[in-house]
Amino acid sequence: MNKHKIPIVFVVLLFLQLNVSAQQKRTIDFIGGARSFISNNRIHVQDSIPDTTTIKRNTGGYALIDLGLDIRPNKSTEILGMFRIRNNYGGFWGSGVSFDVRQLWLKGIIGNVVRYQVGDLNLQQSPYTLFNHHADKIDSLPAIFNLQNQLISYEKYYQKNTWHQQGVNADFGLTFSKIVKEIDFTGYLTRLLATNFSTTPDRLMGGFSTKVIQSKHFSFGYNYFSVFDVKGTVLDSNTYNNNVNTVSLAYTSNIGSKQLELKAELGSSRAEYSQFIEASQLKDKFINASAKLLIPKQHLALTLGYMNVGPDFRSIGAQSKDVNYNFIPGYFNTIGNNQSFRAVDLFDVIRNENIYNAGVSVNLMAVNPVYNNALPYGEATFNREGIFAKASYNSPKGIFINAEHHYLSEIRGQGTYQLKKFSVTKILASVDVNTIAHFTRLMRIQFGMNSQSTNRTSNAEVDNVKLNTTLYQAGIEYEIIPKVDLLFGITGVNCKGNEFTTERNAYSKAEYFTRNSYDLTQQISALGFRFRFDAKTNLSAVYQSSNNQDKLNMSPDYQTDQFALIFNMTF
Amino acid sequence: MKKIFLFAICLLSIYACKKESSTFDGPSIEEMYSNFSVLADFKCDKDSVDFAAGEKALFTAKFNKPVNWKITITGQTSHAQKEITGISKSIDATNGIWNGSTSVFPMFKAEHCIAKLTITDVADTFQVAVKIRTVKVNEGFVIADFENGFNPLWVKFVQSGANMDFTIKTDSLAPQGAKYLKMAGTVNWDWLIGMIDYPAKAYGTANTLSLPTNADQVYFNCLIYGVPGTNDSKVLFQFREDENADGIINAATDDEYDVEIPVTWTGWKLFSVKYSDLVSLTNGQPTTPHGNSIHNPDKIGKISMLHLADPANGFASCKIDYIIFTNSPLEP
Repeated sequence: MNKHKIPIVFVVLLFLQLNVSAQQKRTIDFIGGARSFISNNRIHVQDSIPDTTTIKRNTGGYALIDLGLDIRPNKSTEILGMFRIRNNYGGFWGSGVSFDVRQLWLKGIIGNVVRYQVGDLNLQQSPYTLFNHHADKIDSLPAIFNLQNQLISYEKYYQKNTWHQQGVNADFGLTFSKIVKEIDFTGYLTRLLATNFSTTPDRLMGGFSTKVIQSKHFSFGYNYFSVFDVKGTVLDSNTYNNNVNTVSLAYTSNIGSKQLELKAELGSSRAEYSQFIEASQLKDKFINASAKLLIPKQHLALTLGYMNVGPDFRSIGAQSKDVNYNFIPGYFNTIGNNQSFRAVDLFDVIRNENIYNAGVSVNLMAVNPVYNNALPYGEATFNREGIFAKASYNSPKGIFINAEHHYLSEIRGQGTYQLKKFSVTKILASVDVNTIAHFTRLMRIQFGMNSQSTNRTSNAEVDNVKLNTTLYQAGIEYEIIPKVDLLFGITGVNCKGNEFTTERNAYSKAEYFTRNSYDLTQQISALGFRFRFDAKTNLSAVYQSSNNQDKLNMSPDYQTDQFALIFNMTF
Repeated sequence: MKKIFLFAICLLSIYACKKESSTFDGPSIEEMYSNFSVLADFKCDKDSVDFAAGEKALFTAKFNKPVNWKITITGQTSHAQKEITGISKSIDATNGIWNGSTSVFPMFKAEHCIAKLTITDVADTFQVAVKIRTVKVNEGFVIADFENGFNPLWVKFVQSGANMDFTIKTDSLAPQGAKYLKMAGTVNWDWLIGMIDYPAKAYGTANTLSLPTNADQVYFNCLIYGVPGTNDSKVLFQFREDENADGIINAATDDEYDVEIPVTWTGWKLFSVKYSDLVSLTNGQPTTPHGNSIHNPDKIGKISMLHLADPANGFASCKIDYIIFTNSPLEP
């Protein structure tokens, strides 16, 4: 109990002292957030015999505050230290209380030329080097589901397509008056794994990007990414490394009132262990090229592209997934009389932060065909070739529509010479009814659909694959009285067919193909209210009900209900 | 727009036509999911084996498709086990040879054994009998197997904590021979529970051990038993080199290489490490050695074995046996 009191009292005193100094010199800002989350959950399992072993209810929650000090001791240095104090409801001083450092970084400028940052970093390079594709996150969720989904992004430091790492980052730019307009350089070095001096090596991740902007029409760049073990940090002298080199090109041209953007990235990868002969070297190439036509008058953007990512292309930084499907959910983790482990479901994908990765994964993560079979590692998914088309309409009148289609194929067969074909159709739309109908209170309607199909036909019937998945969502937010919104949403996934999941060895080579059949239906409906104190503070009350049905009876059907009260604030 | 549309149609047509690749990854699905049948029975090429003379037992079988198989050889007296696994269509000289080594301790004795073949997703099991006439002999430099008790030149230090037990035991748990060393006790003021120094003089080899000079060809091995439900033990070995072989190990001028083994498992486990992979540790962190910074196994003047445990966590216990240098990782 006293163990926690002392540091907290110290920190409060520190804040008071720094606040005075801030008033004098204006060099310190307080930033952070506060949150309270309390929920009551219930599960109902429809087993073949009455389920008498599963705990049916749980209630819990937490309150937390993230308190950050943004210190600028001089004009070229900035330091951020953010502490988190969290208290689980029902726990108090010593039980359920934690006091952690959430973020710690220092950044500055050396000689007005080189910007640097050490400590926590949010890093991103090109889509084939270091990039969080969010291949498993559901695009444009209705607001009611986003209440919890946005907490995941905050907890995992997701900022667009970055991965959170610790290390050092530096960048600088040079401008020229002739031939070349600008050259930008950025480089970083981070630690992926810390050695235990026995079996786990120090694994570092580093890279750099150079972008040459020739003019406002043409630019090109080079990206290098590397993950490598530091020899001597473990007893085993076998070390791993994964190197990726890519070149990117961009050309923009005006055609009358329209604008044409041509983009391409191509490169190669190599992944190898230094000693193990059974871990043969994997090396391959990729190319991704697209043409985008912007038609401002019609608020339209049309894209047509081609991608080819080799079967042995490996890039840890681009092929890390955000969802770990092998994670056993922390609540209602077993279901049925057999106490079988509950697999990650759609409800978890929407609300369970524990199944999400914050940083780059050191191994190739498992794929779940139910949620994304065509591009499980995003654009960097290996063994894919094909074309894609995208169209987006973004009207100032409050209508947004985005549609895209991927038509892809494997390049090398998996357990057979026959190739799988993938088709992905995605449509997202939102309509700001208040803007169209000219009334002030918020009224937005959202809907979306992601339909995927996988097919493989062969003379040998056992090789055949046919899997159809449809993920859908719809929602409405309506400001019933000023600052009080009624929220409603529905989302679900239907998956039917069969597919093989690939079991890979430690070197990511296919060793076995497990045949799986699916006939699943998951649906979540939600109703709630949100009170917006201001743009950064809100209080929400949400009731959600999730139904999971497995028509093949591989696992028992179950229903999960949740009532949650969420207060969220950033400052 | 029309041109773009036509271009898209052309690309689509090209990929729609492509249905086959020239190679494929992994095993053939058609073979994997065909009905299983045995094409050649599970056999051993010998009824009895003289491992000490270098003989080996060869298991063979053939199937109609690649299967995930496991041969479990169990000693009928010792209950020692050896597991040989593979994914293949046949078991033969490339994957089915047994040299008398052990996977699950204790080590095999001269005894009757049963070799059982199990195959994933196949209900039937297949078995053959094989007799061990003589056990496998491990070539190497034995530091301690405790079969003859404590060597009088070893130096033992045991803290005066509670329930201290740093004695040689003779019971059925012994993984090799009949004896092993138990290291246990509660020391609530220090990480050290107890330690033994093994000086080179204890082996009649003057001031340094008679080991090869090439550190890449020297492996240090031992068997360690993790006791469930106790404080996590760490076993620290310190290899102190006497670089000028004058009989005096000077910490300021001679190299010391170390290995700290966190005992995180239950039961016996083999630990092996190449001498050239060892680092110098200070309080568990790598440091620069103080001597010539060259791994010289032939200059080892003393080995110290320390049993460590977090003093805040109470009683710690582990067991150790068969501390041996070999020229390749020990296959006990």
